Amino acid sequence: MIAPSVGLPLPRTDGFDKVTGRAAYVDDLRVPGCLHGATIRSTIPHGRLRRIRRDPAFDWSGFTFVTAADIPGQNVIALITDDQPALVDGIIRHAEEPVCLLAHRDRERLLAGLRAVTLECDPLPAALTIREGLARKAKIYGRDNIFKEIRIRKGEVRTAFRGAHRIVEGTFRTGLQEQLYIETNGMIAIPERGGRMSVLGSLQCPYYVHKALKRLLGVGDDRVRVVQTTTGGGFGGKEEYPSMLAAHCALLARKAGKPVKIVYDRLEDLAATTKRHPSVVRHRTAVSREGRLLGMDIDVLMDGGAYLTLSPVVLSRGAIHAAGPYRCENLAIRARAVATNTPPNGAFRGFGAPQTIFAVEMQLNRIARALRIDPVELRRRNVLRPGDSTATGQVLDAGASGPLVLEEAVRRSGWSVRRASFTKRAPPDPERASKAPRKGTASGRIRRGLGLSLFYHGAGFTGIGEVYLDSHASLAVTRDGSVEIHTASTEIGQGMRTTFAQIVGDELGLPPSMVRLAPQDTSLVPNSGPTVASRTCMIVGKILANAAADLRDALVQWAGDSPRRAPGRRATRGPWNPQQFRRLASAWVRKTGPKVFTRKYDRPPGMKWDEKEYRGDAYGAFGWGVNVAEVEVDAETFEIRVPRVDVVLEIGTVVNPLLAQGQAEGGTLQGVGYALTEEVVRKNGRMANAQLTNYIIPTTADTPEFRTTLLSNAYRHGPFGAKGMGELPLDGPGPAIAAAIENALGVSIVELPITPERLAKAIRARPAHE
Amino acid sequence: MAGSGENKTAMMRLSKFKYLAPRSVNDAAKMLADAGPTASVVAGGTDLYPNMKRRHQTPKTLIGLRRVEGMRGVSGTPEGGLRIGPMTTLTALERNATVKAAHPGLWKAVHSISTPILRNMGTLGGNICLDTRCNYYDQNYEWRRAINFCMKCDGDTCWVAPGSKVCLAVSSSDTAPLLCAIGARLHLVSATGEREIAAHELYRRDGIHFLSKRPDELLTEIVLPATNGWRSTYRKLRRREAFDFPVLGVGAWASFDGPVVKEARIFLGAVSPAPVEAAEAAKSLVGTRLEPDAVARASDLAYGPAKPVDNTDFLTRWRKEMTKVYVKGALEDLRGS
Ligand SMILES: Cc1cc2nc3c(=O)[nH]c(=O)nc-3n(C[C@H](O)[C@H](O)[C@H](O)COP(=O)(O)OP(=O)(O)OC[C@H]3O[C@@H](n4cnc5c(N)ncnc54)[C@H](O)[C@@H]3O)c2cc1C
Ligand code: SF4
Repeated sequence: MIAPSVGLPLPRTDGFDKVTGRAAYVDDLRVPGCLHGATIRSTIPHGRLRRIRRDPAFDWSGFTFVTAADIPGQNVIALITDDQPALVDGIIRHAEEPVCLLAHRDRERLLAGLRAVTLECDPLPAALTIREGLARKAKIYGRDNIFKEIRIRKGEVRTAFRGAHRIVEGTFRTGLQEQLYIETNGMIAIPERGGRMSVLGSLQCPYYVHKALKRLLGVGDDRVRVVQTTTGGGFGGKEEYPSMLAAHCALLARKAGKPVKIVYDRLEDLAATTKRHPSVVRHRTAVSREGRLLGMDIDVLMDGGAYLTLSPVVLSRGAIHAAGPYRCENLAIRARAVATNTPPNGAFRGFGAPQTIFAVEMQLNRIARALRIDPVELRRRNVLRPGDSTATGQVLDAGASGPLVLEEAVRRSGWSVRRASFTKRAPPDPERASKAPRKGTASGRIRRGLGLSLFYHGAGFTGIGEVYLDSHASLAVTRDGSVEIHTASTEIGQGMRTTFAQIVGDELGLPPSMVRLAPQDTSLVPNSGPTVASRTCMIVGKILANAAADLRDALVQWAGDSPRRAPGRRATRGPWNPQQFRRLASAWVRKTGPKVFTRKYDRPPGMKWDEKEYRGDAYGAFGWGVNVAEVEVDAETFEIRVPRVDVVLEIGTVVNPLLAQGQAEGGTLQGVGYALTEEVVRKNGRMANAQLTNYIIPTTADTPEFRTTLLSNAYRHGPFGAKGMGELPLDGPGPAIAAAIENALGVSIVELPITPERLAKAIRARPAHE
Repeated sequence: MAGSGENKTAMMRLSKFKYLAPRSVNDAAKMLADAGPTASVVAGGTDLYPNMKRRHQTPKTLIGLRRVEGMRGVSGTPEGGLRIGPMTTLTALERNATVKAAHPGLWKAVHSISTPILRNMGTLGGNICLDTRCNYYDQNYEWRRAINFCMKCDGDTCWVAPGSKVCLAVSSSDTAPLLCAIGARLHLVSATGEREIAAHELYRRDGIHFLSKRPDELLTEIVLPATNGWRSTYRKLRRREAFDFPVLGVGAWASFDGPVVKEARIFLGAVSPAPVEAAEAAKSLVGTRLEPDAVARASDLAYGPAKPVDNTDFLTRWRKEMTKVYVKGALEDLRGS
């Protein structure tokens, strides 16, 4: 009998091929007769497209040229609402909006062709910021430029404010962030003989692309096939955008009657594809003398860009997480996603939560200062405990791990001692006293600070989202007696290939190496839903575990045996060793025909959600986390270093600690960039720093020492007790680092990213905090 | 009102060129003269090739210096004056124990350039002749075309300073301010002769014609001054600990009589098309022991000549303010406290 693999730090099954260069990404595929495609985009943020002019003197032979007029079906990228066209038809609503497409065999000719096309446009006034969008400086969406408004209400806010000891206010802002997967967006469309369009590329959600192409081409299910190629990272950036790129390749391929490939270079990818929504979050909090949160009044604004894409769901998650993991019986949350004339913002790891969690955590620090309560103590008093209910009224069970992660992080990070030593500043350095940036904070040039954030993150789609998704996943037994996983869930570097094999293997009592993964090809695998929302391991993993149990039972029954359950062994494990299984399963298939076990999502019993009122059980489970960040700030240049971050996460059963640690560290580092350096600079709605030399992500040299602790509080409805964890790590670093800087310098931080320039301005402009 | 604009992208590719690989300095100089103004030499290519992809330069002929004999390596002694071949890679310099011990300023400048991978390819000569940089220029062809280009390349307006007659793209070489400060000399060879100039004479305050070197001249040797009681250092402002070009560089040099400064030079990089000398600041140090007051006074004086414009990362005001702090840091290095 083989030992269980869930809980073992197995290396990624896809790792070797990737680091040795053997893995074939979309640009590595050689497709005979393939043309290169390219996109002609608008440079103005808003305007009327009058004419597309092709230079008559140019030799256009061998070119394929596509405009909106060539679209056989509907000119939309089908997702939530049909507002976004595949190609501009009349009105340009953002810079970098695709207008027309060109393809040619030769890339040099293609470049020349691009230069022979001119767009003639009449510019219109543009709304480039949330404020301008709200003020309707331009008409972009509906009557008021609001993509979606959500209200969450609980208790009696007004009464709570009346009885408050103090009312604390704050407004917090966050900026755009780019996902920055290593592999840029790329796709190949191949028109097949029978009229089917095959699309292969770098993507997270094969069935999103499938749905979009059917509408665009006006064809049925079997006329479109979508295949994921090895994908070099996604982080949400390949959730909805690949539908756009697939549409472009398919239109060119259809017209040319030949395969067409488009791979963006970094500049185009940065300038044109989706980013994290910028936000403005205003908090008013009524608190008691002891720091209890009596009432919370929260207003959330997010910049959706020019089309709706996924903004309503990003907003929804942001709104639900806006009150943080804290108990408050009276609250009112109003959240709006606003249209602006900028490229649409979309999915990005965290999906609205990092923005609102930054705001609520900074607000808590503000309350702590106002009441002179230690920030940890304030959190202790308010953190959600079993039996408490969240903003939407979801009553938490023993899975409420907030107190656990908080105490564990305080203990492991040495919070009290370190915080005290940083706060007690060194005696002023006489040489610099005269030049110290502010009186009263004078001390050594390098100031150190410690900051903490507490956060939770719901795993899976919100509310009844998972029910609507109706995900299916299958296990097939092959003739050679091995097991094949059939899902549309994609490997994007997070490690699902490995964790799925561990889950299924353990359920069957087999080593993970005996479990294979069928290609992510919509003509072969069922729709297990998108690979997003920290749902793959927890939701799809559970469906697979159920399918594996079915498989095991059926096989045992066929073999005329009953599962023997030795004491102390995991009850679900099979009675065979791998060789026996292989022989048995192979005989089974050969004698009784192909075996496929399909299961679909089962909603955990008792879950309720009222979409209209935004009340009920928003998520099946929450992951919980604390970050303790240490910073060093140069008090003269305001340059910031983060030498150490303690990361404590509770994620249910840890299926694979090695991969989980990778997720924890990678996500935290992405959060460090969000906190300190990543800033999109736009000039008239166009990105001006669309290069890796000036869009600044942390390098290895900027990476803190991570001290990661993974705790598990098993989730009954997850596979072997696992919860989702992909997004959780990104929620914490922004507020923890900001809090550490507040601690180091005695300023109030209200905006990310915290660049040295912003910090200097904050110090000069504002009085030191209370 | 009518406007037009389009932005088309396809993977950036190198323009077409002919590649020549001379074996000797004379051959290289001759090839360069023969091929005329559409030719360019290439060393490590880490600056030139990206520029070609963005169509800043589209040389018809490239003369690769990799195989030219006698252009690589460090020779001589520190006391007699080290001589460095321009094809010496930045990594080789970084690993050279003599350079590190005798010229810590140069070593720091070299060590701060981009990343280990780029330093493996990039050379000292290429760094000295590095193209000037600007946010409106370091963009691909399509991006630049959408703004109707700019004066430095294909256009006629300067978007940073629309009234300006000269381009203000910034000198972004890390070694340039340091080599100017220590008084290094550069050996130039062409088909018609050779000459030696001081490092600071190489640079011109014009972002387009930023080198006084003629296009047909090759840089063949960098001569460091003999070490005899002077110290040098380099400080660099950037966002990250790796990758980033300087948005401010400070090269500082001082010779001493015991603890007393005999002579000093400070050059600021990345604030103008050429390294800028902060002469008054340096002069104010003469006769001091680099005591805190003297350092503070000199840093204040260095603030004047730094006139960054809004064409790199970081806010302009910030870069200017940081001049003080960074000059101070550099002078503290020299004091050796
Ligand atoms: C991502 C990135 C980051 C970078 N960061 C930095 C940085 O932080 N600091 C910095 O200083 N630079 C930086 N660079 C620029 C560049 O890598 C270095 O300056 C490098 O030293 C250039 O050397 P090279 O040999 O590659 O030059 P090349 O690209 O080969 O040449 C550069 C120019 O010099 C000319 N040239 C080269 N050798 C000679 C010669 N012997 N005689 C006459 N002309 C010659 C070439 O014709 C060309 O015009 C960076 C580049 C990149 C891509
Ligand atoms: S300084 Fe002006 S002319 Fe020079 S590169 Fe920048 S925009 Fe162009």
